[in-house]
Amino acid sequence: MGEVRSGADDEQQRTLSRRHFLSLAAAGVAAGGAAGMLGPVLWDQLSRAGAATRSSGSLGSTTGRTLVLVTLYGGNDGLNTVVPYKDPSYASARGILAVDPSTVLDLGDGFGLHPAMPRFHKLWADRHLAIVQGVGFANPNYSHFESMDIWQTAQPQDPSGTGWLGRWMDKTGADPLRAVAIGPTVPTLLAGDKVQAAAIAPGPIQLPGSAAAVALYRSLATTSRGEPALLAEAAHSNSDLLEVNTVLGAVLNKTAHANPLHLTGAQAPDTSGSAGALAIANGGGGTSAANVLTTQLSVVANLLLADVPTEVFSVELGGFDTHTDQVDTQAALLPQLDTAVGAFLDAISSTKRGKETVVLVYTEFGRRVSSNASAGTDHGWANVVFAAGLPVKGGFYGEPPSLTNLSEGNQIYNLDFRRVYATVLDQVIGVDATTFLGGRFSTVPFV
Amino acid sequence: MSLDQTSAIALLYRRIGFGATANELSSAVAVGYSATVTSLLGGLGQPDPGGDAIAPPSFTPIPSDLAQLRSDVAARQAYFETLRTESRELITWWLARMIASTNPAQEKLALLLHGHFPTAISKVRFPQFMYQQNQLMRTQGSGDFTQLTQAIAVDPAMLIWLDASSDKAQDPNENFARELLERFTMGIGNYSENDVRAAAYCFTGWRLNYRTGAFSISALDHSDAPQTFLGHTGVNSGTEVIDIATNTEASARYVPSALWSHLAYPVAPKDAVVSDLATSYAGDHNIANLLRSIVTDPQFATPTTQSGLIKQPIEYVVGALRVLSVTAAEIQARPAGVLEVLAGLGQVPFDPPSVGGWGQNGYWLSTAAALVRWQFARRLSQLGDISMVADAPRRSRVSAAGQLLSIPTWTSTTAKALSGAASNPQNLVTLALVSPEFVSN
Repeated sequence: MGEVRSGADDEQQRTLSRRHFLSLAAAGVAAGGAAGMLGPVLWDQLSRAGAATRSSGSLGSTTGRTLVLVTLYGGNDGLNTVVPYKDPSYASARGILAVDPSTVLDLGDGFGLHPAMPRFHKLWADRHLAIVQGVGFANPNYSHFESMDIWQTAQPQDPSGTGWLGRWMDKTGADPLRAVAIGPTVPTLLAGDKVQAAAIAPGPIQLPGSAAAVALYRSLATTSRGEPALLAEAAHSNSDLLEVNTVLGAVLNKTAHANPLHLTGAQAPDTSGSAGALAIANGGGGTSAANVLTTQLSVVANLLLADVPTEVFSVELGGFDTHTDQVDTQAALLPQLDTAVGAFLDAISSTKRGKETVVLVYTEFGRRVSSNASAGTDHGWANVVFAAGLPVKGGFYGEPPSLTNLSEGNQIYNLDFRRVYATVLDQVIGVDATTFLGGRFSTVPFV
Repeated sequence: MSLDQTSAIALLYRRIGFGATANELSSAVAVGYSATVTSLLGGLGQPDPGGDAIAPPSFTPIPSDLAQLRSDVAARQAYFETLRTESRELITWWLARMIASTNPAQEKLALLLHGHFPTAISKVRFPQFMYQQNQLMRTQGSGDFTQLTQAIAVDPAMLIWLDASSDKAQDPNENFARELLERFTMGIGNYSENDVRAAAYCFTGWRLNYRTGAFSISALDHSDAPQTFLGHTGVNSGTEVIDIATNTEASARYVPSALWSHLAYPVAPKDAVVSDLATSYAGDHNIANLLRSIVTDPQFATPTTQSGLIKQPIEYVVGALRVLSVTAAEIQARPAGVLEVLAGLGQVPFDPPSVGGWGQNGYWLSTAAALVRWQFARRLSQLGDISMVADAPRRSRVSAAGQLLSIPTWTSTTAKALSGAASNPQNLVTLALVSPEFVSN
């Protein structure tokens, strides 16, 4: 069990790692010369330096591990993702929505993955995919927003406050780069009272204007005593941007057109540098472009390959609210999840950093066992959570909830979602989960 | 504590419009706060000479046989490309309208209602339906909220967005019923799951004719079984459900609290400031009257309100373009840049991320957004009319920037930073546009 380090300690460690990373990055930029590309030499340097820094324990995370959170918005139907295809109640409840048992990718114990998830199936075969079943919380909430707020704040009684990892950021240092969200906005889970995670859009970072203009921007971005909280927050977002540029700018600019996941066609990441690439495509109804998640995870891969001192990343995919046309919608979205996560883990697996990365995939609730008359399913309760990566101990965890003993037509949860968080706080981030979850939750041994 | 009159009027213009230009502010200060309220809100439900001059896009009619497109790949791809093109034109049209509007309170209300009844083109797909809904918010938005909700419920965009158009009597789809109660009319905690299910039965059989946009109720698919909804027995129509929901005490607090939260500062329905608003709103359900109650409430023109909201990206971009005299025509000629900025800031009109709409305040203050704002501000300082600052003597340029952006006072930190840029008006305006004072609303 790790423990929370004091703020001062943390600040010192952070500064050391930051300075070390920056000096290497600066050397690399100089060595890159006129072409301005990161050569293989720098990659090696960065990677070695990262390893050295890590083993001496000077990065913020006490485990040297990295957490990548994948939030699926809309309530992905877990029953058609991890399919209990041998249970006769499944086919009778789901009717035309039931996944054809001859197509599922077998997981054993009567379960099979949706046929669009071959890469997850490979991870499972390699014992690097954990499937936690029956996850949820007491008193199910069928509102997307309240339910997602509960997941992201980990405060079922009052889900209006800070994010569960926002509190970790508040408590362990003022650095907005300990966690990075890919996209225009920061999800609640990474918003603390004092610190909000950095957000970066795919593409290069180009500060407008001369060095003198940047210096003036810097002076504008300071806060004064007694300033109203929102205005101070606005000033902070400006100074945090300068921090992002200082620490990540070189890497982001060098890798803006890289394709670390080696994906082509519709799944290839959008490297146009268009700020709108993500925002426009990620709407409701399963109409997302095929590269929304691969674009985000390509950025994360680029940053991890450069061994940046960020410990938590957040990416997201929307459109899972399948009240209608569930079969087509899942058939469009699950391949995106499968491809993006699978290719991401492949891309980083040979690096030391990649070997210590855990991907966690969750959504706000499961869906009703019986289909509705619109070829879809309504909001439900218990669901599955995926954890993937080399540190993950593959297999099933928790108990699969019954398909017949239901509550208002929904599968009943039997594993509090905060046990999953306790596990990653303890085993991936290396801190005492109790501090951040407002109570003690036993871990689930999937890492 | 109240704000001084100039600050109060500048605030009023920002909150029920997109901010005042220097000329608008000085004219308004001459007539006073109350007369300005009357003149701004007097535009509601009236023509908008500036905005109406922006021609809406013409939409390709929806093919009479959509099913045929399923089998014809080339025709389908061509039609989807048409939809994408016309969707971009629609988004550009609304932005141009907001920039050109001479009745900004009406455009602002349409924007707030879009956030209240969020509907996204990424699912609705047909831009003509989004246009139709947008016009409805403009023409009926300031009237009776119950009637507005009834109209939006049977309007094509919402029928598609919340799946009402495929609902059947057996196993009803709960999507619309739930969002109606939770987001649109009552707020969470004021109804039970049984109420959601009862309401869902009442909306079964609601149908949309995609080709004509006509609403109908399929007798075959509609459940006539009487439901008990919020204590009312024998309810079996969606119209009754909406009437009952909007006439609850909970709704009388929820609707004013939602508007207050977007015009002043975020509150919960139970908060004290909502009480007086709720009493008068319960009497008539009239949105124009509610807006007037809000901006004349003693708590409105206060420092708490002044530091209570961050501009939504659309408010930020439109507000900046208006004060720097960039015309709608210039934006229509090269729309890609502005759309890119809005996407990068996380808010594209007609495309909210979910039925929850957009977040507020801290939601807009990411580092990614800070970069896009700064880049936008830099370009705008080059393209826009900053002569008010450039022509001012160097020592008064900081206050000239305040005049240009209708920010009566700068904080000492901002004033100091702006002074450092006084020798270069473009740099000064760039900084002023990304200052906390202008980023906040």
